[in-house]
Amino acid sequence: MDGKCSAQGWVYSALAEVCRRSSPAAKDEVSTMLETLLPILIFTALALAVIGAVRRIRLWRQGRPSRVNLLQGLMALPRRYLVDLHHVVGRDKMISNTHVATAGGFVAAAVLMILVHGLGIANPLLGGLLLLASTSMFVGSLFVARRRLNPPARLSKGPWMRLPKSLMAFSIGVFLITLPTVGLLPDGLVEGSGSWLLALVLAGVVVWGLGEMFFGMTWGGPMKHAFAGALHLAFHRRAERFGGGRSTGLKALNLEDEAAPLGVEKPTDFTWNQLLGFDACVQCGRCEAVCPAFAAGQPLNPKKLIQDMVVGFAGGSDAGYAGSPYPGKPVGEHQGAPHAPILAPVVMKEGKALVDAETLWSCTTCRACVEECPMMIEHVDAIVDMRRHLTLERGKTPNKGAEVLDNLIATDNPGGFDPGSRLNWAADLNLPLMADLKQVDVLLWLGDGAFDMRNQRTLRALVKVLRAAEVDFAVLGAEERDSGDVARRLGDEATFQSLAKRNIATLAKYRFQQIVTCDPHSFHVLGNEYGDFLQEGQGGSDFNASYEVRHHSTFIAELYDAGRLTFAPWKGGSVTYHDPCYLGRYNGEYEAPRRVLKALGIQVAEMERSGLRSRCCGGGGGAPITDIPGERRIPDMRMNDVKESGAELVAVGCPQCTAMLEGVVDASAEVRDIAELVADALVERPAGDVSGVSRRTTAVTTAEEVTL
Amino acid sequence: MSEIIRRDPRREWIARNRLHPDHASVLAALGVNSEGGGAASEWLGPNGVVRKNPRAIGFIGPNGVKRIDRSGLQQGRQAAATTTAARDSRRRVTIDQPAFLVAVVPDLTGGRLSSHDKDLLGLARRVADADAEQPGAVVAILFGEHKGEGDGEHKEEALGDAGIDRVVHLDDELYAGFAPEARLAVLSAVEREMTPRFWLLPDSPLGGADLGRRLALRLGERAATGVWQVEVDNEASLGWRCTTRGAAGSLDIQRPLPRVALALAECAEPMDETRHAAKCQTLAAPIPITLSRIEDLGQVAVDPAGVALAEAEFILSGGNGVKQWDAFHHAAKVLGATEGASRVAVDDGFMARDRQVGATGTWVTARVYMAVGISGAIQHLQGIQRCDKVVAINLDPGCDMIKRADLAVIGDSTQILAALVAMVEQQRGGQRDAA
Amino acid sequence: MRPEQQQKQQKPGIDVAVLVSIGRHPTTGRARRAEQDARGLELALAMEAELPGSRIDVLHAGSQDVDSEAALRSYLGMATGVGMGLESMTLLEQPEGSDAILPLVEHLAATSPQLVITGARAERGEGSGLLPYALAEHLGWPLVNSLASIETVENGVITLLQALPRGQRRRLKVRLPAIISVDEAAPAARQSAFGPARRATFLVAPTTSEADSELAQWHLSPARKRPKRLKIIKAASARDRFKAAASKAEGKGGQVLTDVTPEQGAEAIYKLLKEEGVLR
Repeated sequence: MDGKCSAQGWVYSALAEVCRRSSPAAKDEVSTMLETLLPILIFTALALAVIGAVRRIRLWRQGRPSRVNLLQGLMALPRRYLVDLHHVVGRDKMISNTHVATAGGFVAAAVLMILVHGLGIANPLLGGLLLLASTSMFVGSLFVARRRLNPPARLSKGPWMRLPKSLMAFSIGVFLITLPTVGLLPDGLVEGSGSWLLALVLAGVVVWGLGEMFFGMTWGGPMKHAFAGALHLAFHRRAERFGGGRSTGLKALNLEDEAAPLGVEKPTDFTWNQLLGFDACVQCGRCEAVCPAFAAGQPLNPKKLIQDMVVGFAGGSDAGYAGSPYPGKPVGEHQGAPHAPILAPVVMKEGKALVDAETLWSCTTCRACVEECPMMIEHVDAIVDMRRHLTLERGKTPNKGAEVLDNLIATDNPGGFDPGSRLNWAADLNLPLMADLKQVDVLLWLGDGAFDMRNQRTLRALVKVLRAAEVDFAVLGAEERDSGDVARRLGDEATFQSLAKRNIATLAKYRFQQIVTCDPHSFHVLGNEYGDFLQEGQGGSDFNASYEVRHHSTFIAELYDAGRLTFAPWKGGSVTYHDPCYLGRYNGEYEAPRRVLKALGIQVAEMERSGLRSRCCGGGGGAPITDIPGERRIPDMRMNDVKESGAELVAVGCPQCTAMLEGVVDASAEVRDIAELVADALVERPAGDVSGVSRRTTAVTTAEEVTL
Repeated sequence: MSEIIRRDPRREWIARNRLHPDHASVLAALGVNSEGGGAASEWLGPNGVVRKNPRAIGFIGPNGVKRIDRSGLQQGRQAAATTTAARDSRRRVTIDQPAFLVAVVPDLTGGRLSSHDKDLLGLARRVADADAEQPGAVVAILFGEHKGEGDGEHKEEALGDAGIDRVVHLDDELYAGFAPEARLAVLSAVEREMTPRFWLLPDSPLGGADLGRRLALRLGERAATGVWQVEVDNEASLGWRCTTRGAAGSLDIQRPLPRVALALAECAEPMDETRHAAKCQTLAAPIPITLSRIEDLGQVAVDPAGVALAEAEFILSGGNGVKQWDAFHHAAKVLGATEGASRVAVDDGFMARDRQVGATGTWVTARVYMAVGISGAIQHLQGIQRCDKVVAINLDPGCDMIKRADLAVIGDSTQILAALVAMVEQQRGGQRDAA
Repeated sequence: MRPEQQQKQQKPGIDVAVLVSIGRHPTTGRARRAEQDARGLELALAMEAELPGSRIDVLHAGSQDVDSEAALRSYLGMATGVGMGLESMTLLEQPEGSDAILPLVEHLAATSPQLVITGARAERGEGSGLLPYALAEHLGWPLVNSLASIETVENGVITLLQALPRGQRRRLKVRLPAIISVDEAAPAARQSAFGPARRATFLVAPTTSEADSELAQWHLSPARKRPKRLKIIKAASARDRFKAAASKAEGKGGQVLTDVTPEQGAEAIYKLLKEEGVLR
């Protein structure tokens, strides 16, 4: 506050100066005045920015500690910003270029301005560069303004609407005050009494620009994203995401430490770099645009959630939020404070806590928002953190959640089935058991789909394929348990860890090269999340190194490449492929399923949203269990996507997706698992081909065609 | 009956003339009148000779072929006559000087012996009649009104038919409703006066389970509960050994049969070959009046719609095929059914989530499950596995629900429901008028 | 402020003892909170709204080991966001195979709660459902079985709804102190949360215990499947018996009515409903 006042004070004193002396020697005096005024303005704004920064940092440091290598993070910052972040931003070329021009221009202009006007190094070369930078920034800001002319619904309004004007004010102001430095000042322009007025206007414009760009950066204006965003990139909680890596497994709770909070109750229970991450949000609404729950009219909007977290740790109400609300929940009724519970413990009569529980339970953990976020904010982590508190501390897992968790505890599967009946579906298949063989090439992980009559068809198909390819495989049978995926997404970390540890102990008894599963959720959990729970002597220090986990589509693709499978040509109609979130976004496997379909002779008619941007089926994250009502159903929307692609059949690779998409009434397309399609197309290998001629070469071209 | 055979030439003529409008009724009359026991296929001819019409004999078999059953049992009338005869042939048993007594306290739900009661009486008889030389007597203590079974003379015989020798009947306001203390006082009095060797009660939620346990503790006996099998065991103190269900039905416990036993349904075969006296007895000593600390304020009206799905005995369930939900709700109300729904109906917002039936909703155990416009997704069918009777109304004769249903009606659900509602309302109206 | 509030609240509140046992999951046999006991605790917890200031004493008589401890803790995991003294449970420690009735009677007589809530039957051991009755007989308190909900507690009289089969209810008024037993008709127990369960403590009370010698003599075995009752035909003639035995089983494949008028269809359904006796 006081920053703004003092800035205004400068304007007034300048005004007083103007009133006192209005003489013919105005021109000189005007330039002298600007020369004295500018350094003062610049350094005041910088000082205020520093004060704001300290204040902001103290807000973030309310969070719990988190181990981050600060120096290394800062060193990696330029690369993370210029390469990784722009990789995400670059998906929208227009905005990417606009941002390069504006942000690049601003950073250059700010540095040069400090040198030229702040420190008075009136080097014409520097001045020229400064002019160039401010011009670039101006051009960029024009594009920003154009985007704001008729902004899409996902963009936040409010203060963000003035940002292009502020950018212009800064760039124009800097441009004009730099003109004298390079001696380009047109003489007639500042003569006469008009010159004072002009100088005044100029000073005002510069003050506005400086206020927004420097002061607003650390005091909570739209430019906050630059400051918080840079630090967020430097101290990101998942450093592995930078440099092309992937980090999608949830972070484990330390249950040994009884003092550690179980999940997040109040904003300060987040780690400090999570809080910092929330502050980095630019409210671009890309997350909102891809969120399946938001599209279905469920009360979740990832952008609003992140903004609510900011409101939480800074204190206040969400009334200042100017974007789309949570569907069905008006803005302005919720408030929070750093040490106040985010979710109301009991139903309150007046006013509401920061977030309603159903907002958190609407999430399908599809990670579309995380992948789409240009600031690389981790929405899913935050949601699961808060869910953990609800489940572990309050026992408030909604709808069927409590029952499912009880079943997982008592029977090791979410349906409450007799664990001994896990292999009943395969009574006629004579599946080899791990307990008998001890050592095989491939461990077939069945997943809980083994209890589901629909998924049993998929499993049968997969077994047929494995047998056709003469794969040396076995199953755990009754020794297998739920992977813990559902328990973990429902926030029950205790049950997850118990399942994980017991599964790891079972796996450690046997020797195998890889695990193959037709359930991407098990695939993700086994491959990406079990690593945290290894003890000494269980597969060594690097669990994942002792074997690989594969999705069945990957494995089938490999078998085909190795020439171990032969298919009859596809005779059906047009086919599209639905990417399961836990296979695609969580594990980056977009190509293998398409390769398999290609091998079957299927030309995939891609849906508008596919691959990285595939839309969730609505089956992840325990969403079908918590079942938060919306206006539409997510699988219905997805089946509509299928319909629009014109496909008569949608190939999937996940039991959840199969169940969700098949649950759509009056669907236009049939739902088949890839394993089923492959099993149907199997033909006896011709005698001459038994030598096992590799199809590797053809496969490479196939892959290229798909990526094209 | 006179020896003289009187002839009615006109009726004989009609009987011969198959085109005569009265032909059938005359044939029938002749059939009944004839002592020979035949139906219309046999009659007394004009000369007093029995005539037969071979075409009228027999019946059309299941394959559409005419079958002749020489034993003549096909005729409904005759079959009924045989059963009456069998009934009458049941052995009458009177035990005047019993060696011991077996006391039974049936639930007498709704004034009638339930099948559980009858099984229990069967068990009581087994225990009482084990030694044919020295039979025991079964004494039943009945609380509340006894309505009997059937009508006419059979009504009063129901108790004896079930195997009861003696009856202590207490039909007093005092014992109505939930009155465990008053009932216990009666049983204590019976214990003092008659000292039965065994007390048998049904282990049922209808009252027996509660009363039996109270009695056991009052008598200081460690009751056997959940008894489902009783065998002779000479080593046991009372000569019997029983198998009971323990630990929530997961354990079988074999133990000597104690004095007080609470038995499950189907613990023994009900009696049907003997008829017992069911002689009424009164207790000699007056029953001490206990001051009850429990006051029964009467039964509370329960809205069937509010009954939990898992508990409901009659569910009307709607799915995607239901087009007029108002009519559906109305039907549920008139039929007194609890409402259920398929997942689709819930997803579409027509029904609340807690009404969803199926693997992902509630597993139901209704006696009658009526599925309206539900095609029968596998998850739904899983949820209704334990229903006794399934009625399906659907437009699609090929859907899975029809295959599961015990009765399926193909047609427009709205119309059929409306007709059903009209039928029920008409019947109700008729009953009310009559009453 | 706080003590005053508590004093104010202490007036309407009553002391409730909830007896809990270690349950057994029906399919896996793992230790868990017993279904009925948990419903009993749920009833007690629900009284918080009705009778603020009520105190709950959770009681368990038995031995303490790793398995049973987890099961017992899961009861206390239900105490989320309620006070009522649910941070701990009283453990009447006794060796395996002891009779639980004696120590419970002693403890209840000493602490004299106004209301004792217990599940109707245990999921382990004999599971005869005699315990509530034994307590009632020993303590001389009235007992109500199959409780559905507690309506009011006023002046030492509790008004409650008793569950009858098929969702019917009966209203009863009972003078306190009383014992209430709970079966499947009571509202389902709330979720047990890991955090409060982990923090819960046990107050171990020494007890006199007596081995259950009678139970030890009985022969216990896993439940056999009960034979399905055969339809025994007692017919007058051999021919009838043969016919009954040879006749096709009924009900295989239902009756399907196609091309009937709505009235005919409705009539068939009406007949079935009447036969099943579901139309009142």
